Amino acid sequence: MFVDRKAIGTPQRVGRALLVASIVVLCVLGGRFAESRSDGGVEPVSFDREIRPVLAGMCLRCHGGVRELAGLHLGDPTRASAPDGKGRIAIVPGESEASELMHRITAPAGKRMPPDGEPLSPRQVEAFRRWIDQGAHWTDLWSLTPLASIRTPTVRATAWARTPMDRIVLAGLERVGLGPAPEADAATLLRRLSLDLIGLPPSVAQLDAFLADREPGAYERVVNELLASPRFGERWARPWLDLARYADTQGYEKDGRRTIWAYRDWLIRALNEDMPYDRLVTAQIAGDLLPDATDDDRIATAFHRNTLTNTEGGTDNEEFRMAAVFDRVAVTWTGLLGTTFHCAQCHSHPYDAFTQEDYYRFVAFFDQTADADRDDESPTITVRSPGFRERSEETTTVPVMRDLPEGERRVTHFLERGSLKKPKHEVTPDTPACMPPFPADAPRNRLGLARWMTSPTNPLFARVGANRVWETIFGRGIVESVEDFGSQGTWPGDRALIDHLALRFVQLNFSTKALVREIVLSSTYRQSSSSGRESQERDPDNRLLSRSPRYRLEAEAIRDSALAVSGLLSDRMYGPSVMPPQPEGVWSIVYSDDRWSVSEGEDRYRRGIYTFWRRSSPHPALIAFDAPSRETCTPRRSRSNSPLAALVTMNDPAMIEAAQALAAAVANLPTEGRGAQADRTRLATLLRRTLFREARATELDLLSALLDDERDRFSGDRAAATAMAGRDDPNLAAWTSVASVILNLDEFLSRA
Amino acid sequence: MDPNRYANLTGLTRRTFLGRVGEGLGVGLGSIALASLMGESHALGATGREGRAPTNPLAPRPPHFRARAKAVISIHLAGSPSQHELFENKPVLTKHHGQPCPDEYLKGEQFAFIKGHPTLLRCLYDFQRHGTSGMEMSSLLPHLGSVADELCMLKAVKTDQFNHAPAQLLLWTGDARFGHPSMGSWLTYGLGSEANDLPGFVVLVSGDKTPDAGKSVWGSGFLPSVHQGVQCRASGAPVLYVNDPPGIDRAARRRMLDAVNDLNRIEAERSRDPETLTRIAQYELAYRMQMSVPDAMDITREPPEILEEYGAVPGQGSIASSCLLARRLVERGVRFVQIFDWGWDGHGTGPNDDLVTQLPKKCGEMDRPVAALIRDLKRRGLLDETLVTWGGEFGRTPVAEFRDGKKDFLGRDHHPHAFTMLMAGGGVKGGFTYGETDDLGYFATKDPIPVNDLQATILHLLGLDHQRLTYFHSGLNQRLTGVTKPSRVHESLLA
Repeated sequence: MFVDRKAIGTPQRVGRALLVASIVVLCVLGGRFAESRSDGGVEPVSFDREIRPVLAGMCLRCHGGVRELAGLHLGDPTRASAPDGKGRIAIVPGESEASELMHRITAPAGKRMPPDGEPLSPRQVEAFRRWIDQGAHWTDLWSLTPLASIRTPTVRATAWARTPMDRIVLAGLERVGLGPAPEADAATLLRRLSLDLIGLPPSVAQLDAFLADREPGAYERVVNELLASPRFGERWARPWLDLARYADTQGYEKDGRRTIWAYRDWLIRALNEDMPYDRLVTAQIAGDLLPDATDDDRIATAFHRNTLTNTEGGTDNEEFRMAAVFDRVAVTWTGLLGTTFHCAQCHSHPYDAFTQEDYYRFVAFFDQTADADRDDESPTITVRSPGFRERSEETTTVPVMRDLPEGERRVTHFLERGSLKKPKHEVTPDTPACMPPFPADAPRNRLGLARWMTSPTNPLFARVGANRVWETIFGRGIVESVEDFGSQGTWPGDRALIDHLALRFVQLNFSTKALVREIVLSSTYRQSSSSGRESQERDPDNRLLSRSPRYRLEAEAIRDSALAVSGLLSDRMYGPSVMPPQPEGVWSIVYSDDRWSVSEGEDRYRRGIYTFWRRSSPHPALIAFDAPSRETCTPRRSRSNSPLAALVTMNDPAMIEAAQALAAAVANLPTEGRGAQADRTRLATLLRRTLFREARATELDLLSALLDDERDRFSGDRAAATAMAGRDDPNLAAWTSVASVILNLDEFLSRA
Repeated sequence: MDPNRYANLTGLTRRTFLGRVGEGLGVGLGSIALASLMGESHALGATGREGRAPTNPLAPRPPHFRARAKAVISIHLAGSPSQHELFENKPVLTKHHGQPCPDEYLKGEQFAFIKGHPTLLRCLYDFQRHGTSGMEMSSLLPHLGSVADELCMLKAVKTDQFNHAPAQLLLWTGDARFGHPSMGSWLTYGLGSEANDLPGFVVLVSGDKTPDAGKSVWGSGFLPSVHQGVQCRASGAPVLYVNDPPGIDRAARRRMLDAVNDLNRIEAERSRDPETLTRIAQYELAYRMQMSVPDAMDITREPPEILEEYGAVPGQGSIASSCLLARRLVERGVRFVQIFDWGWDGHGTGPNDDLVTQLPKKCGEMDRPVAALIRDLKRRGLLDETLVTWGGEFGRTPVAEFRDGKKDFLGRDHHPHAFTMLMAGGGVKGGFTYGETDDLGYFATKDPIPVNDLQATILHLLGLDHQRLTYFHSGLNQRLTGVTKPSRVHESLLA
């Protein structure tokens, strides 16, 4: 399935890689046409599309890296074609009749494989027969093939496509006879851009300015402004902090506090400065080992000090030190290389070509650091905060990665079934055999590892990174399983699209902002999210991007949006995490008397990314909108739609406070006209402040009616009015009810 | 204004909306809209990516095979009570009390706290036989003794974790590491919920104190987060944010909600996004929960004799209240009620965690309400379809802990090799003892049940095959019982 290690670096390897790359391009471009052609029996069978999924889904569980029943390993071409003890050969290339596999998948029940469940369909059996007769060619998994440039496809609607990316998307649409959605209106585009790039809605002033800007390049200008905003780093740090399992506590039973916010500040700042992605990752994996490492480089290594510390009485430090090392390996692979490498901790990977030996060699890179599951979190360094270093002398500590001195280095062992109690032979640091080789001149430590990871020849690094950028904008990756580019991951919606983006990422010197800019300037991005009937029927999941995706905002963005439109949001950046109000008693935890002490002043209104994160009990309003516990790496959040979330936006005092502030801003706005007419004008203003569009007459009818009803009610119940508005003002109270309604609208909670 | 105006407007909007979706959006979207308006969110033909109705991922789903139980009440004694003081009558241990633990037991043994060579510690209490089955329990559990014939006692449960947080995770999520879904999440994922306006998976915690492993013991892990347990609390709002803000009454809330939903319908018509329709359905559910949760959580509605039987005092948030609430919730269709009670970690470092003062105190709080729960369920005909489980995350050592050499108080260290759990109702045998331990109660000698087997057995009782209840994540079809470990259902427990 994968290239044999011995072949790596040899001319054959390079030649084969090129061949594979070009085949892949042809397959991608021609695949769909090929599928639609009638099958004359000579059509080459696609290993990746027709054979690999069947092997993975029906065979490898018993005949793969874990179990190898009957000595058969169908994940390995050599062994799949080697005779067993009785001289039988599972797969004889070119001879389906002589292949045992064919006999077994077509045998009558009782002898048939797989032994339970559905047999292979006639179509699948036929695919195997033809694949074997055609020579049983195994190809590398798509994600492990080298990146090669994509020939931009020919499209009919050439005028629509602004960028090569658009042509790839358009070609996909035209293949099924669909066209793109029309461009969204300017106000929608501005709100979308603002939410995607800085995680906040625009201001009314920005909207007015954008609508008034009739000069060419208005769109590009606003994109550039948003990319330059310091809010950019705050928004883009969020998904990374989930991946880095960043939190303000240590985890496990005691879950005591941990001071590590300097890492979060470093990250925000690095993203704002557009630190190239390869540099960003290198700093986090091995900043301490860089020549002339700076404080910032060392702070970056706190990435892997976000592991849990178990200070529960009686815990074995070595056990939990190793748990942290395993976690670092898992996060490195899941988060940065999109691979379920951790599956190989106890046994070779069941589906992909990673062996258990590969696993422990990789562990050896991370096994030399001085940290060891200690309450004091040592080693730490004392630094001036990366966020406000220029303004303040104030210092903070941060746990960092530091290698043990020579002479105290650990010996890493292969652990049978992953058990510390069963150490076997020694292993030395190395990267997996099925991947490009470790650079010959690189040190065998984390720094060398970072070089290997971020190298342009690493087929996964750019693909996984570009896919995450795409997911952050579109709400779903081109490869939906952002954490798994392996054979069990989801197939990319469009192979050419992910490879094109990854290649652009490399060509743009891994500039995240440049890649974001390229994506949002595209016609694909600018489509409307309202779907025509055809788009809805033929592309119901929007996998072809026949419209702009519409999805609910993430937890932090919901809080931030409510605070922003109501004018309450603090723009203070960086510093220790803050504690906005949360219900009483949420932090009541066994064996801990730590208290949530509500922040004062503007710290109550900071962006969600600065909210104190206790792993055993994150802020409940964030959990309701799918924020994770940050105990483990979370490469993507689910997006639930639940009554508990509805209760938060309906009743959370923070949301009511935002509604009060909104109400105060519009209730007495001077307007022309009086009475009902003035109400309608003010309601329209309210909608424009929150939804950034003009109100529709029906909406104004509905909201006026509610406003009247609530005014009547509050006039007759001044105590209720005082409770709702914060003062004895029935009119303001009624406006607060209406504002609360707006903050609960699906449209307000969604990016469209 | 004309009081009818608002009603007219909203009615008009709804009719217009439905009329238009009927014409313009095709049958699929229109029927979803209709169904959710009519509160029939589970009766949809349309299904989401996992074959689930998009507007209600908690719609009831059929089990794999005939279920013996429909609901589970689990009573977790966090910290882990001593099986020796409650269930393990071991004359040999008593005879050798105070002697050094034989070496063969200690080979390769690792304790959480004990240092040096430990000495054997006998049970401090007398044992009695109960019921027609003659099940043995100590004098600390008179009430549980009175329902012995309903109990299925598992004496050889095993875990492989001896720290609280990992052991709790292993017991409830099938894995000692964070990130896996809890049993209740798996159950609502597999079976949905019969409760129309309550969460399908409710967590009750004595004194509202979160257990050692935090909220992850009822977390949804990699399952969609709608499956996570919802903590219902004894103090403050019974569910976070369930109470309307001051100044909003029910009528006002209804009007506000109508406005939200009407505006959302306009948006749905424009965007054709099914999620918007789901949101309308979820807001309606939230509105119903605002009434039904406080109602279900209000034990003052129980007659005095029931409160007395459980020993429950309204407002206290004790394990007694939790047991009574569990019955009220199961009656209302809740699938899984997970009770946590803490204070059972009997190391003997002081009077607050010893076997002489603390354990009898905790047993006094727990014994009566748990027995009352079993009797009450039985009276109401609910015991047959409700599985009750009882136990800690591991057991306690047959040797004394004597931390730091101090012998002022008696206690025992964490013990993973064998411990006792109880089950009742839900299709398990009553008055039945399963599994045996050796003469010291140290190791399991017969019918051991690793906690993954326990999970497989519980799922089986609910009509689910633990090998078929899977969710694709991280490249694998994940299961509660783990992907590699061979777990099995213990058929001998089934009634």
